Amino acid sequence: MFTYYLKLGWLSIRRNPLLSTLMVAAIAIGIGACMTIITVNYVMSSNPIPQKSDQLFYVQVDSWDPVERDGEGFEAPDQMTYLDAMALMKADKAYRQVASNRSGLVLEPENDEERPFSVDTRNTWADFFPMFDLKFIYGSGWDDSADRNLERVVVLSKEINERVFGGENSVGRSVRMNGMDFQVTGVLDEFIPVPKFYDVTNDPFGETEEVYIPFNVAVEYEFPRYGNTSCWKSPDGDGFDAFLNSECVWIQFWAELRNENEKQDYMAFLNAYAEQQKELGRFPRPLNNQLSDVMEWMENQEVVADDAQVMLGLSLLFLAVCLLNTIGLLLAKFLGKAGDISLRRALGATRSTLFAQHMIESAMIGLGGGILGLGLTWLGLRGVEMLFGEMVENLVGLDWVMVMTAIGLAIASALIAGLYPTWRACRILPASQLKVN
Amino acid sequence: MLSMQNISKVYRAGQVETHALREFSLDVAEGEFVSVTGPSGSGKTTFLNIAGLLESFTSGRYELDNRDVFALSDAELSAVRNEKIGFIFQSFNLIPDLNLFDNVDVPLRYRGFKSAERKRRIEKVLETVGLASRMKHLPSQLSGGQQQRVAIARALAGEPRFLLADEPTGNLDSHMAMSVMELLADINGNGTTIIMVTHDPVLAEMASRNVHILDGRVSDNGLEHPVGKLAAV
Amino acid sequence: MEIGPIWRALMRNKTGAILIALQIAVTMAIMVNAISIMQERGRLMARPSGVDEQNIFSISSVGFAEQFNERAAIKEDLTALRALPGVVNAIQSNSIPLSGGGWSMGLQTEPGEDVDGPSVAVYFVDEHGIDTFGLNLLAGDNFNPTDITWRDIGDTGWSDKIIITQSTAEALYPDDPDGALGKTVYISGDLPMTITGIIEQMQAPWNGWEGVENVILVPNHTLFGATHYIVRTEPGRRDELMPQVEELLAASNQDRIVRSMRSMEEIRERSYKADSAMISILTFTIILLVTVTSLGIVGLASFSVNRRTRQIGTRRALGASKVAILRYFMTENLLISLLGVVTGAALTVGLNILMIETFSLTRIAWYLVPAAMLILLVVGQVAVLGPARKASSVPPAVATRTV
Repeated sequence: MFTYYLKLGWLSIRRNPLLSTLMVAAIAIGIGACMTIITVNYVMSSNPIPQKSDQLFYVQVDSWDPVERDGEGFEAPDQMTYLDAMALMKADKAYRQVASNRSGLVLEPENDEERPFSVDTRNTWADFFPMFDLKFIYGSGWDDSADRNLERVVVLSKEINERVFGGENSVGRSVRMNGMDFQVTGVLDEFIPVPKFYDVTNDPFGETEEVYIPFNVAVEYEFPRYGNTSCWKSPDGDGFDAFLNSECVWIQFWAELRNENEKQDYMAFLNAYAEQQKELGRFPRPLNNQLSDVMEWMENQEVVADDAQVMLGLSLLFLAVCLLNTIGLLLAKFLGKAGDISLRRALGATRSTLFAQHMIESAMIGLGGGILGLGLTWLGLRGVEMLFGEMVENLVGLDWVMVMTAIGLAIASALIAGLYPTWRACRILPASQLKVN
Repeated sequence: MLSMQNISKVYRAGQVETHALREFSLDVAEGEFVSVTGPSGSGKTTFLNIAGLLESFTSGRYELDNRDVFALSDAELSAVRNEKIGFIFQSFNLIPDLNLFDNVDVPLRYRGFKSAERKRRIEKVLETVGLASRMKHLPSQLSGGQQQRVAIARALAGEPRFLLADEPTGNLDSHMAMSVMELLADINGNGTTIIMVTHDPVLAEMASRNVHILDGRVSDNGLEHPVGKLAAV
Repeated sequence: MEIGPIWRALMRNKTGAILIALQIAVTMAIMVNAISIMQERGRLMARPSGVDEQNIFSISSVGFAEQFNERAAIKEDLTALRALPGVVNAIQSNSIPLSGGGWSMGLQTEPGEDVDGPSVAVYFVDEHGIDTFGLNLLAGDNFNPTDITWRDIGDTGWSDKIIITQSTAEALYPDDPDGALGKTVYISGDLPMTITGIIEQMQAPWNGWEGVENVILVPNHTLFGATHYIVRTEPGRRDELMPQVEELLAASNQDRIVRSMRSMEEIRERSYKADSAMISILTFTIILLVTVTSLGIVGLASFSVNRRTRQIGTRRALGASKVAILRYFMTENLLISLLGVVTGAALTVGLNILMIETFSLTRIAWYLVPAAMLILLVVGQVAVLGPARKASSVPPAVATRTV
């Protein structure tokens, strides 16, 4: 019977090409508009490291100002001071832990003809690479000992390795940055987490860094900080050491905790640390340390922009308009077939068979709208890319989940739109239309 | 076969009540060929619709095949129509998008026959009405008489016990009308009960019995004539 | 006119009419709220940055070599830039309005660790700052060359003079902003600074910042490793001078690189990219939405005309003129649309309240509602014109035909 309904549906669609086209177009436009925005929202709120996002925790310790300013309330600062980050690194209480920050250096290629250029760098620790599951094309990350011994080692991104070494295996070779030589220990494979979860404070949808060097080396040579720095009071005195010992926050701290026990132990450790700091006269606020896993942290930092949500709401309303449109057109179409329906009733069709027939016809229109809508979604995403430029470079891809969502949404919409017209069609009486006029 | 006792049908439109049938009683035996005549608005079509289970009635008792139809659900009514009743309409009511084969196929689909069985029946009935060679044609490619033959084939395909025809020749010229009547006579000869509504006294005479309806009542049930064979052909 | 019978006919066949009316209502709610958002973004983007936008550009210099002498380089660069024909003036600064990166501090009118006060954006400039940015000094004096000191990256001290914007004065002294000149304010808790000048207006580097015009100028040259030069050219010569300046800086000192050269116009464009994209998307949405709704009206009206062909023929046979038939369908659409826009007005306000609560958007301007009602009524009339004309061309003979 199913194939029979498919055939009837197809005949019916063909019989009224204008009305059918209008319906398919209405659904397609609704789906296109909706899916474009849903995709952007979906990518913005997607899990960048699904395999272990619930084991990675962003660490906040509340070292902030006892005076509430600008009505901001008492929230733990979104980054960490150098004092606290070093204390937590040294305590080594988590399975893995990493303090890191954004920086920038000037790279001088070996080839004299090429001018020096600036690179985005991340100052970090050996654990960064295994903790965030980074894949290497050549070599690997550096050893713990490199962190301790201030070794000038470097991990390059795939692009920089191509630019500087033409894509060859550069492990063991050296790169000159800010007048110093760094030895390459590894070259990363493509690494574009969306959002860039490990540092959402500085542009959650920005590009990943091009070069990774030991944090301690960057501190030793006083490399610049490119990310956000916030202070609630000025450092006690001038110079870099005073800055390091200040209450300024500029470091992102992540801990890998493999289970609930480890998490609770770590929380207890943080609280004990905060109490100890209180005795030293720091941490003037009530105890407020936080461990947020990746998705909690994305939510806390409101990575999905308000604009994206406003557009999502509007696009869903838009889909509603398209549905109302489809309901009206389907109703017109089905009631236009009253003669056909009442004849079928006379010939023995039950209400439920007619119901199935018309729901299948609606679903077919939905399928058509979904496929066309996918095309429109693709166009819509290209449009979004054009308008926002590099801001959304990584946000506008369609994956199979989205493709299935689009088709599913289209068919579901068409079925919902088809319910009322189908119900009306099924209520047509068998005798009503058989007499001439 | 068919037994109607004191059937009434009242249409209500706002304050106005129209009595289409009043205390209508009629019995039709198995194998009869009954013609129904009456002036316009006398209730012929209402009678046919009720007889064919296309419409419900206000009061009275209607048994089809010794079964009270009043209590049947919509789905059961559909099944009875599908299995026991064949319809032939004045305007043929073929589905314009479907070819002959598919048109005849419509009731068989609802009957739930397997595809081989459907094919066998469709070919057989189209053979019977002489249109087996045009199976792939669309209704619009046929003459009126041929279209009505298709409609008859569709009515016969389910091998109904009971055929209801509403002015089956009303849209046909006299030559074609005659050939359709011959076909109906043949079908009746094979044991199928036929009730035919017509306003043409000549055609009415060709039935084995004529029932006359006036103002929603049977004014003459034709039973003073002996039940017999179809008069002249 | 014939509204009574049309209305009653409509009520006997409600569903189609209600669907169209609802569609118009939701369309209106989306349209008005979208336009309101667009207006809000438009207002944001229209705010002046306070600087001479047409003739300013910025370029960054980053020293990397060990022998790089930042202080000497800045002096040389500024001398060379100011001497370049076509350049009105040039300064070194830590930032520029709308660039997205900068420095903010808290200011307070009393010394003390636990005193609250407004946050202000800090621009480090020399005595050429006001001229280079093109600012309007309302009261007090510009900095003297002797006021300018060198600030190292870890320095925590502050100059004893600052120039502030009017808006900063209002934030500091809400009761007496005009008396701000000459007063002393405190930074970093207890470091005093005297207000020696007041400028009319200037924006902070962050366009979405709450106190976007709370800005102070501090008389410092900075030694932060990476430095920005702001160059103001004679009107119309910016594009010609930009490549010259880039080449001049790149060639003059091999121990640093120059990068991120951007005109103020480009900086503004980048800063408001999300807003202008939002405006484009919403505009597109509205166009699409109105199109879909009109197509719906066309579809349903055509259907209704087809269904009533015989009825129309009968009316024509009974003496109705073509115009009368046209008018019938136009009036019918007008009634449906009226129902739609009245419901739409309520929906619009409801949606707006929801958006204000959820996303702290602004209230819609009152005139948008009647304007949208009028527009949608016109759209409905235009959409129904085609089907109505088709109806009016139905011949009266249809009435007597059987099929």
